[in-house]
Amino acid sequence: MPATIKAYGMLKTYLHGQNEASVEHGLTIRQALAVLGIPSELVAFVIVNDEQKSKDYCLQDADIVKVMAVMGGG
Amino acid sequence: MKGYAGSILRVNLATGQISKEPTPAEMARDYLGGRGFGIYQLFKEVPKGADALGPQNKLIISTGPLSGMLIPGGGKCDWTTKSPLTGGYASASMGGHFTAEMKYAGYDSIILEGVSPKPVYLLIEDGKVQLLDAAHLWGKGAFDVEVEFKHKYGEEYQIAAIGPGGENLVLYACINHDFGRQAGRGGVGAVMGSKKLKAIVVRGTKSVEVADPEGYRKAGMALYKACKDAEGLAEWTRYGTTVVTSWCDEVGALPTRNFSAGSFEGGEKIYGQTMRKEIVITDKGCFGCPCPCGKYSHMKRYGTYVEGPEYETIGLMGSNLGIADIQAVGEANRLADDLGVDTISAGNCVAWAMECYEKGILTKEDTDGLELKFGNIEATFALIKNIAHRQGKLGNLLADGVKRAAEKIGKGSERFAIQVKGMEQSGYATHSATSMLLAYMTCDVGAHHNRAWAITYDLQVGRSLVVPEKVARVIWLQNFRPMFDVLGACRLQWVELSIDRDLYVPAMEAITGIHRTWEDMEAVGNRIWNLTRLFWMRENEDFGRSWDQPSPRFFEEPPKTGATAGQITSYEDVQRLLDMYYEQRGWDNNGLPTPATLEKLNLAQIAS
Repeated sequence: MPATIKAYGMLKTYLHGQNEASVEHGLTIRQALAVLGIPSELVAFVIVNDEQKSKDYCLQDADIVKVMAVMGGG
Repeated sequence: MKGYAGSILRVNLATGQISKEPTPAEMARDYLGGRGFGIYQLFKEVPKGADALGPQNKLIISTGPLSGMLIPGGGKCDWTTKSPLTGGYASASMGGHFTAEMKYAGYDSIILEGVSPKPVYLLIEDGKVQLLDAAHLWGKGAFDVEVEFKHKYGEEYQIAAIGPGGENLVLYACINHDFGRQAGRGGVGAVMGSKKLKAIVVRGTKSVEVADPEGYRKAGMALYKACKDAEGLAEWTRYGTTVVTSWCDEVGALPTRNFSAGSFEGGEKIYGQTMRKEIVITDKGCFGCPCPCGKYSHMKRYGTYVEGPEYETIGLMGSNLGIADIQAVGEANRLADDLGVDTISAGNCVAWAMECYEKGILTKEDTDGLELKFGNIEATFALIKNIAHRQGKLGNLLADGVKRAAEKIGKGSERFAIQVKGMEQSGYATHSATSMLLAYMTCDVGAHHNRAWAITYDLQVGRSLVVPEKVARVIWLQNFRPMFDVLGACRLQWVELSIDRDLYVPAMEAITGIHRTWEDMEAVGNRIWNLTRLFWMRENEDFGRSWDQPSPRFFEEPPKTGATAGQITSYEDVQRLLDMYYEQRGWDNNGLPTPATLEKLNLAQIAS
């Protein structure tokens, strides 16, 4: 079963207005972002199944992944 | 005036005289509140050339129209003074619960003037205001003072206190509140210490009249609903500002070993997720906050607790010191807070000293025996204590800030003193991020990030580009973002939850009875920005372009490691950024506002 990538905020623009997209499991987050055309360096925050993970995390079956940019800082 | 408390409280520490005066309507109209009130009153009341630590300087605390109101994060107040660290404008924003009590007690501003002959604290209970003896508190840490007052007066009383750092006039001493919130930057704590004022204790029970109660309720609830519905609310709340640590490391923005690089090989050990697993025990929010970003932590190894560390402290007291240990960063944070010194400036000073030591510029004789290598945790703790108490040769040297320390030591160490206008740089390495570099160069208090946080924009459009659009972005951010410090609300709901900023417009109108668009409020922001510039000019005869230069490290020394290895902004590009910035601001080639610009901003009269 593919993993689901949900893009938040400005990152949605790279999904052509869609909120989410499916990618095959087995890819790393970094690879999945490349497949979807989301610039990796704009993604500040990766949450996989409610836990923050690095972009080197390897996607598992049916993972739900949220990716966010940080627009404002402290 | 609707939405305001209506009075200014004036306390003369020298004579003990306490008086109240109405908040001027024209000040509310033109400067709105918060840091707007701060700079307007500072400019008018503090005479040119006043000693920042002398009786003529004033410390001005101001609330805004959104402070203490039904607005997400309406718990911010501003502390403005002439900075002993920079000799220019200082404005520090503080969260927590102090602001609401101050406004409910009836005050839009508190102006502290003169110098007390002995240690005192200020007790405010609505209209009853007293200066009381604080001799028994002098020398105590800020946390102990807060505990004592909570026991003495009760939980509802809010306290702002200095630690030994403020008493000993460490030039970047901070003011602590609510066991972990600070008015942190520019040495506001040293000014409070110079006045022999150990603490302010406040309790207010009055209400604030608004123009349209039903409209206010609706607009406030709409803001809260937007926060509750925001994508990312749970994630932001879980990690707070520490969420950016891993990202900064990845993109080469994490200050590492005195900003010699932007990526840290031990980064994973200080990332937000590591911190959450290892030391965080609960979340902690400020007044009226629906998304509490504060993290309360327990450092088991040391048997201690702290609110934090925030990202800035992780960067400056972690990677920037070569420390890959979140418990040690938490403990350094706790020490700095309790002793009352700003973690950003202190982290910079220790990092500079470590680099001097590793280069042989400082020896063990200079460091009072400390083996001051990057990564030495115990030496870091010892040096923070020495700074706060001005103990030993190095502690005393660093208590005056990195610029003065480097000028005294020389031997090329000025090239790696990371500061602008004498203020140490906060937590973003800017070797290759030209908007963020410009934001630091032109920030109105020195090298601070919060006026214009533009680093994501750099990555979006090309980090090394030097183009007018980047400059325009920085100026827009500088006019807009600090308006939250004017209005008295936290900016993080807009910044991180991306709620629609237009939701604030009906809230402001219902509270004050005056319709203002964001364009109107940005015009106020522009006026305030230019008035702070006038203050710098008035207080420093040679003020101009030379004061806007970044640390040479950012145009001379490309990092050798990490994401930005080999990348640097050229000196010529640094000057091009300034040229474009001055032109777009309506300033001359030396960075001074032109008469036409002052006229346009309704500042000609105050400037004359």
